[in-house]
Amino acid sequence: MNLMANIIINVVIAFLVGSLLLGFHRKVMARIQLRPGPPIIQHFLHSLKFFFKETSFPKTAAMPFYVAIACMYCAIWITAVIVGPISYGSLLLIFAIYAVYKIVEHNAGSSSGSPYGKMSCVRAVFSAAAEIPLFAVLVIIFFQTGTMNLGEIVAYQSANGPLIFSIPLAALMFFILLVSKSPYSPFSITKGKDIISGYETEHFGVLRGYMMLSESISWYILLWVFLTVFIGPLSLLGYLIGMVVITALIAIINTITPILNPNHSVMSQVSIAIIGIGGSLLIMLIV
Amino acid sequence: MTELSYLLYLLAFIIGSVLGLLISYKKHGEAFIINKIDIVSLIIAIIGWILLFNYALLPFISSYILIAIALFLIALVFGMRPGYGRKETFLGIIISAIIWIISYILF
Repeated sequence: MNLMANIIINVVIAFLVGSLLLGFHRKVMARIQLRPGPPIIQHFLHSLKFFFKETSFPKTAAMPFYVAIACMYCAIWITAVIVGPISYGSLLLIFAIYAVYKIVEHNAGSSSGSPYGKMSCVRAVFSAAAEIPLFAVLVIIFFQTGTMNLGEIVAYQSANGPLIFSIPLAALMFFILLVSKSPYSPFSITKGKDIISGYETEHFGVLRGYMMLSESISWYILLWVFLTVFIGPLSLLGYLIGMVVITALIAIINTITPILNPNHSVMSQVSIAIIGIGGSLLIMLIV
Repeated sequence: MTELSYLLYLLAFIIGSVLGLLISYKKHGEAFIINKIDIVSLIIAIIGWILLFNYALLPFISSYILIAIALFLIALVFGMRPGYGRKETFLGIIISAIIWIISYILF
C-alpha cells in the first residue's frame, strides 16, 4: 500500500479506536459508580463537536505559541503512529516523543496565561520528573533483548515468549505509566479538577478539538506500545481485545482511587520506578 | 488491506452508534424508566450478532461486507440512549452464540 495512504488509515484508526476506548473508560467508571454513564461514542462526539465550535483566544495568551502548541501536540502523536504501528521503528523515538509530549503539556499550560494553566504547567514539570524514570523501562528491555527496535523486540518474543513473563516488573512500570496517562487517574495531577481542566482550561474550539484528537491517538499508541513490547506478536483483533481489557482494568483502578496530591503522586511514581528498575536488574542478574 | 477493513468496521460501528443514539432519543424523550424489551431492537440485535458470529455460513457474500453490516446493526442497538438496548444486546449475543455452537457441531 502507498505509504501516505497507510499513514492516513493508521492515524484515523488510532483516533477512532482511541476515542472509543476513552469513551469505554468513562462508561466502566460510571457503571462502577452505579451511574448509567454516557454512551461509549461520547468522547468521539465530544472531540468532533469542538471542531465546529467558535474558537476564541484569551487576551492573556502568548500568540502564536498558544496556537502552535495545539498543532505540535497533534504532530507528535501522529509521528508516534508512524514510528509505531506503521514502521515498527525504534523505542527510543517513542521515548523522545513522550518527552516532547511532557514539554508540550507544560507549554500548553503556560502559553494561555491562565492561573489554572500555569499551575498545571508547574505540575507537568513535576510529573515529567516522575514519568520519564518510568519510561526508563526501555533500558531493561534493551538489556533483556539486546535491541531497541520494535520489530526485533516482536521477533525476540515470538522466539522466547512474551517479555511480560521474563521482566514483569518492567511491565508493571509501563502499566503505571499508562495509569498516569489515563483520565481521572490518581496520578493525573496536570488535569486534576482542582485546577479545572489543567493545561486544557483555556483552549477552545478547534484548538481543543486538536488536543482531544491527540489525546485519543496518544491513548491508542501507549496501549499499542505496551502490548507490542510486553505481549508480543498480535493480530489487529488481538490488539483490540488487549486494549479493551487494559482500558477496563485502568478504569477500575481510577474509579476506586482518589487523585493524589502532587507530592504523593510524584513520590509514588518515583518509588515504583526505583523498585521496577532495581528489581528487574536484580532478577536479570540472578536468573 | 487488513487496516482498511478494520477502518470499514470502525466506521460502520460508529455510524450505527450515532444513528442508534439519535433514534432512541427521538423515540424515548421521557425520563428513564425500567423498560420492557423492544421487539424491533431485539430483532435488529439478533440479526447483527448472528451475522457477526456466523458470517461464514453465507460464503457467497464477502465477509468484509457481512461483518460491517453486522457491526452496524449491533451498534444501532448497543449505541442507544444509556439504559436502553442492553437486554436486547444480551439476548442477541446468547441466541447467536447458540446458533454458532449448533453450526459448529453440524458442519
